Amino acid sequence: MAANPETVLSRRDKRKQYAAELRALTPTGQILHSDEDLRPYESDGLTLFKAAPLVVVLPASVEEVQAVLKWASERSVPVVARGAGTGLSGGALPHEDGILLGLAKFNQILELNPEHGYARVQPGVRNLAISDAARPHGLYYAPDPSSQIACTIGGNVAENSGGVHCLKYGLTVHNILAIKVVTIEGELLTIGAPGCDDAGYDLMALLTGSEGMLAVTVEVMVKLLPVPPLAKLVMAAFDSVEDAGDAVGRVIAEGIIPAGLELMDNPAIRAAEDFAGCGYPVDAAAVLLCELDGTEAEVEAQIGRVSDVFNASNAKTLHIANSEEERLLLWKGRKSAFPAVGRLSPDYYCIDGTIPRRELSKVLARMDELSKEFNLRIANVFHAGDGNLHPLILYDASIEGESERTERLGSEILQLCVAVGGTVTGEHGVGVEKINEMCVQFDTHTLEQFHAVKAAFDPNGLLNPGKVVPTLQRCAEFGAMHVHKGQLPHPDIERF
Amino acid sequence: MNHDASAALLDTVQQHVANGLPLRIVGGNSKSFLGRVSESAEEMTTLSVAEHRGVTNYEPTELVMSARSGTPLSLVIDTLKQSGQQLPFDPPQLPGATLGGTLACGLSGPVRPYCGAVRDHTLGTRVISGKGEDLAFGGEVMKNVAGYDVSRVQIGAYGTLGVLLDVSLKVLPLPETTRTLAFEQSEHDCSAMVKLARHFLPVTGAALIGSRRYIRLAGSDAGVQAAASELGGDAVDDAPWDALRDFTHTFFQDERPTWRISVADYTPKLAIPDDKDGSPASVLYDWGGAQRWVKTTLPAQEIFALAASANGHATRFSSASVGDATHQPIEGVAARLQTQLRTSFDPQRLLNRGRFHPELDT
Ligand SMILES: Cc1cc2nc3c(=O)[nH]c(=O)nc-3n(C[C@H](O)[C@H](O)[C@H](O)COP(=O)(O)OP(=O)(O)OC[C@H]3O[C@@H](n4cnc5c(N)ncnc54)[C@H](O)[C@@H]3O)c2cc1C
Repeated sequence: MAANPETVLSRRDKRKQYAAELRALTPTGQILHSDEDLRPYESDGLTLFKAAPLVVVLPASVEEVQAVLKWASERSVPVVARGAGTGLSGGALPHEDGILLGLAKFNQILELNPEHGYARVQPGVRNLAISDAARPHGLYYAPDPSSQIACTIGGNVAENSGGVHCLKYGLTVHNILAIKVVTIEGELLTIGAPGCDDAGYDLMALLTGSEGMLAVTVEVMVKLLPVPPLAKLVMAAFDSVEDAGDAVGRVIAEGIIPAGLELMDNPAIRAAEDFAGCGYPVDAAAVLLCELDGTEAEVEAQIGRVSDVFNASNAKTLHIANSEEERLLLWKGRKSAFPAVGRLSPDYYCIDGTIPRRELSKVLARMDELSKEFNLRIANVFHAGDGNLHPLILYDASIEGESERTERLGSEILQLCVAVGGTVTGEHGVGVEKINEMCVQFDTHTLEQFHAVKAAFDPNGLLNPGKVVPTLQRCAEFGAMHVHKGQLPHPDIERF
Repeated sequence: MNHDASAALLDTVQQHVANGLPLRIVGGNSKSFLGRVSESAEEMTTLSVAEHRGVTNYEPTELVMSARSGTPLSLVIDTLKQSGQQLPFDPPQLPGATLGGTLACGLSGPVRPYCGAVRDHTLGTRVISGKGEDLAFGGEVMKNVAGYDVSRVQIGAYGTLGVLLDVSLKVLPLPETTRTLAFEQSEHDCSAMVKLARHFLPVTGAALIGSRRYIRLAGSDAGVQAAASELGGDAVDDAPWDALRDFTHTFFQDERPTWRISVADYTPKLAIPDDKDGSPASVLYDWGGAQRWVKTTLPAQEIFALAASANGHATRFSSASVGDATHQPIEGVAARLQTQLRTSFDPQRLLNRGRFHPELDT
């Protein structure tokens, strides 16, 4: 269709006009629209994708968020919500014809109630800030993504984020009681309840992990848990990744649910050691970090059993952190592993599939083959206890073709996860990144049902359009087939 | 005993979709006392899922079990027990109950506040929607954020968002030891239970029955022993948990209707008016005070108003007459969104029409 120059505003005019209208709606907020001001918002933690929005709006009150969304709804303008922009799937990637709604000004803890074990916080509050505020009362907020110094609770709710302690304490969905959200029409409503459940359908479950596609979160009521009186960390080093992988299954078989159970392979160990100097055995093929927490009596009982399991699984060394400082240091190494690995190479790409634990060594072996085939290095550091892999592909975006090759390798790895009965994303979300692989994981009817769920909340598709659920046409173009119960369309997978 | 009846179920649903005829979904019929009795219930075809049964995947080291919805709950529990595992939400074990019915009603036992609810342990579901489509959400892995979390939304939806076919659940090891302690306590005073919830102890149950407070501890021998000495109280051997879970406790013998009021545990005693004949309501506090069982003949609307004023909601837990309200009414924007959600799965309102919240069926 040929655009009529008189009726279609130029991008610049549109930007000006939107900025003026939005400024009037957000008197206490902030509007950004110069090229320079927009640049920091062009991508989230996944820098492979970049786009500039028309305008960034940073409202400062719930009423302003309502006004902005109502405006967007009336004007049919796409809206992308953004917390801290640490997301790793392009969930907060701006829409070129839309506005970016930043929640950065919502950074207040509204109420901390230690007696009743909850906090009410604004969505832009950083994950770690909640635990920091609760700790003097002997409480904390359990989900602890490695990005917790920076990421926001609003982003955590949108991604259903996990952390190194979610094996025992659950994901975001298990640790929040209620949220206040604004619909695309600008209506405010509370979902969930301060009790254990709410009437009607479990919208808390639906909204958690919905990646900003259904509504914008403007307040979160989180559960605060008592800090365990004692936490002990066992570090076991192995000569092979397979042995470490098997040890994970054996711990679980023992009937023990550690607070955290993390695996790092040699490249990751080296990088983290180099970065944090925490005393990891750099010559090990793999280490497991296994944390046990509880009352002193419980921890003492479990630590012996876990040590026995590791010894029986060919651990070459076992080390129990001697002090709280050492325990925290060992975790610091793990939590800074992504940026640490990032120092090994100009760019890195973090993959996030989950597989059944029993497939661990098979999948690691196949990834090793893929790494050679694609001529790209892979470091592994992941939530082994729940089978959530984070292969980090090292690449150099300035080398012609390497970004594309990296994307293709990532896609292969995700399809491998689906083929062994897993999923394309354990905690980082689909965003724009894994939209093609969704075609592999879900059949047509299920994808259509996802679209119908979206339409129930956002009939005109203005909230974060084009993310999370692929159109059927896109799946046809991607040429992927849905993998069903082991009937694999990838013949190469049968090799193992 | 194992049987995959999904093709036949799908066929029946599709025929009903084509003809616009509603279906009443039944597993073991053990929870017929739950939910609203719709005006048209008599004329509805019964869709029995009991034939669709069997554990389809269970590997203890994965902490995951997948089973067909018609699988008897008792079979699921026994199978897990043989490997030293359990359903972490300890659902009511009503005679004949199936796994599907348990999930559709979203029922969790006294352990709920400490170890999580049914929905917290739901990893994946396969359902037949009210459009006659065979849909699969989630999966068999612990962490999965691909697509909307429709599996958890099926829990407690009373089948109105889909006929559950197959489900995958996270399971956990059985504790080494369980012990129950009892304390004297003034009636209706949940404060000690609320306080306890802020302390890190291996608690898996807290109930106030009359003037007796019961605390259950579970975990390693050493951990339970240490916690028990810290708490004091009297060790009891007639622990009330199973009876509370299965509604067989003497409290439930009172002939008046049973209501469940779900509120925050710290909610003060609710001012429930006496019955017309002057009898006071009878109240039992489970879930540390967050689940309150009430025996009363008060009209439903008054109970809903009471629950709403305490930021909670109420559900009738005993057989109702045709058309009686059983679930807290949903209002405003939430009602619109929930109705649209129902529409997205079942546009003709064929699945358990009138059984859940009638306002969502319009
Ligand atoms: C080094 C590093 C380590 C990480 N480790 C982990 C980890 O261990 N576990 C884990 O789960 N993730 C991890 N992540 C990923 C990321 O930090 C999480 O996904 C986090 O929850 C994103 O929060 P954010 O505030 O940065 O959200 P953003 O990136 O700004 O946004 C993420 C998504 O949420 C939406 N959104 C944000 N705020 C709102 C709101 N108020 N209302 C509605 N939608 C909203 C956005 O539209 C977008 O779709 C890591 C990232 C990095 C860079």
